[in-house]
Amino acid sequence: MTSAPTRTGTSTDAFVVTGVSKIFVGKTPVHALADIDLSLQTGSFTCIVGPSGCGKSTLLRILGDLETATVGEVRNLLPEGRVPRSAFVFQEHGVFPWFTVLQNVAFGEQMASVGKREREEHARHWIGEVGLTGFENAYPHQLSGGMRQRIAIARAFATGSPSLLMDEPLGALDAQTRILMQEQLVTLWEAERKTVVLVTHSIEEALLLGDQIVVMSARPGRVKEILDVPFGRPRSVEVETEPEFTRMRQEIWESLRDEVQASMRFS
Amino acid sequence: MTTEVVRDVQRTDVEQAVEREYRRHRRLQVRDLVLAVATPVLLLLLWEVAALTGMLDARLFTPPSEIVVRGWEMIVGGELWVHVGATVARLAAGFLLGSAVGIAVGLLMGVWRPVRAALGPTFTALYALPKIAILPLLLLIFGLTETPKVLSVAISVFFVVQINTLAGIVQIDGRILEAARAYRATGWKLFRNVLLPAATPAIMTGLRVSAGMAVIVVTAVEFVASNNGLGYLIWNSWQLFQPQTMFVGLITVSLIGALITGLVIVLERALLPWRHSGGPRRKGKNP
Repeated sequence: MTSAPTRTGTSTDAFVVTGVSKIFVGKTPVHALADIDLSLQTGSFTCIVGPSGCGKSTLLRILGDLETATVGEVRNLLPEGRVPRSAFVFQEHGVFPWFTVLQNVAFGEQMASVGKREREEHARHWIGEVGLTGFENAYPHQLSGGMRQRIAIARAFATGSPSLLMDEPLGALDAQTRILMQEQLVTLWEAERKTVVLVTHSIEEALLLGDQIVVMSARPGRVKEILDVPFGRPRSVEVETEPEFTRMRQEIWESLRDEVQASMRFS
Repeated sequence: MTTEVVRDVQRTDVEQAVEREYRRHRRLQVRDLVLAVATPVLLLLLWEVAALTGMLDARLFTPPSEIVVRGWEMIVGGELWVHVGATVARLAAGFLLGSAVGIAVGLLMGVWRPVRAALGPTFTALYALPKIAILPLLLLIFGLTETPKVLSVAISVFFVVQINTLAGIVQIDGRILEAARAYRATGWKLFRNVLLPAATPAIMTGLRVSAGMAVIVVTAVEFVASNNGLGYLIWNSWQLFQPQTMFVGLITVSLIGALITGLVIVLERALLPWRHSGGPRRKGKNP
């Protein structure tokens, strides 16, 4: 995995971000991102950690074209098909309460005008993969928070996009459910090898899931360092017992500590 | 052997507890129903007794038994049906017209900003106008025909439905819209799959509120500008000093109001299965 940011981008890159800054215009302009350079390889799993308000979600939105960079360039080198190049998983409230589980999971392909039979077949497959078989016709409000989040994850996979962008997808879950879903996510990703970018505030989660970890600074968010995660695949929560895990968690936390303190002075 | 016994005992304990819980729930439901029916029955009985013993002036407060007799006469004689038919026809036409246009305009204003900017302030100002006050103007324009009566109802319904529909679109959670945008929902697909279902609860609220309002307006219109309909019946009974007939009219109007509201609620349940299909029952929710 490349750890140094490259400006040119290679044939195996999925995203190449060059000199991106983002300023939100308002009563008081907010400088959210400053001079971000980043390249993400196709099939890699990248975790972004940083203090709250550092613009990690904004960076994710820029990668997924939900937001535009004020200056700089984002190149998405993934193949453009009938489905969007990136499928999103949001923290919560991303599933539609008026659709059943099946309709929610099929939504991405429905928007891409995939036929009903085909998209429902894909949806059923992914509902099975995330362990929601039997709940196809349930409405989200009938399910628990963890199950709703699995709908969102199934929808992202079922859409068939080559990359997944996840914004603290497990952030609202309780600790036990969260661990189970982290493992599930690792398993799903290892089978599919899509390009994944996951924003999280949990260092453990980043170490468990990622190939590389992008540590961001306090606002305006810059890339402070990029670390390669040395643990092999397939991976499970057992890596948390390895000494290297503890060492890296400590290293990242030390790197983040100053930034968190800086961001607390902001607010 | 002993563990078997213990397990058996535990299971029956659990079963008994569950059974108790169900029984408690059924008992509460029955109690609610009994109370709901008993209150009006008791009030009617009190009324009957008070009117018969002279505590209430029976000339003004016709005893319920006499109202029932009068009502039966009017049903059998066909008199009541004429008035019911006239009122229901005006209500139905006005309500359908007002709500159809109200939903359409509300949705247009919701999804298309220039329309909202152009119409919003004017409609907000007109909303405050008591709609019944424009009846004389409508009578001037259309004469003593059915048109001003139906239009009065339609205009009242329109504003309530339009404002609720617009609010339904404007108040959609930004996170829902972002999710829709992330999956490239645009144009008709966005409208049909996201905006419309998200706004439907608010639209139904508008319909429910305006249904009650429509009954008020149609009655008021018939007081002054009609020679049939239940409003006319009530007003005319005052002029002829026929309290029995007046009570029959009042009761019939309330029944129609309840019926329309009930129909809207049935429609709401059919259109919003995602709100009404049962989730887990929580103790705090239904005390």
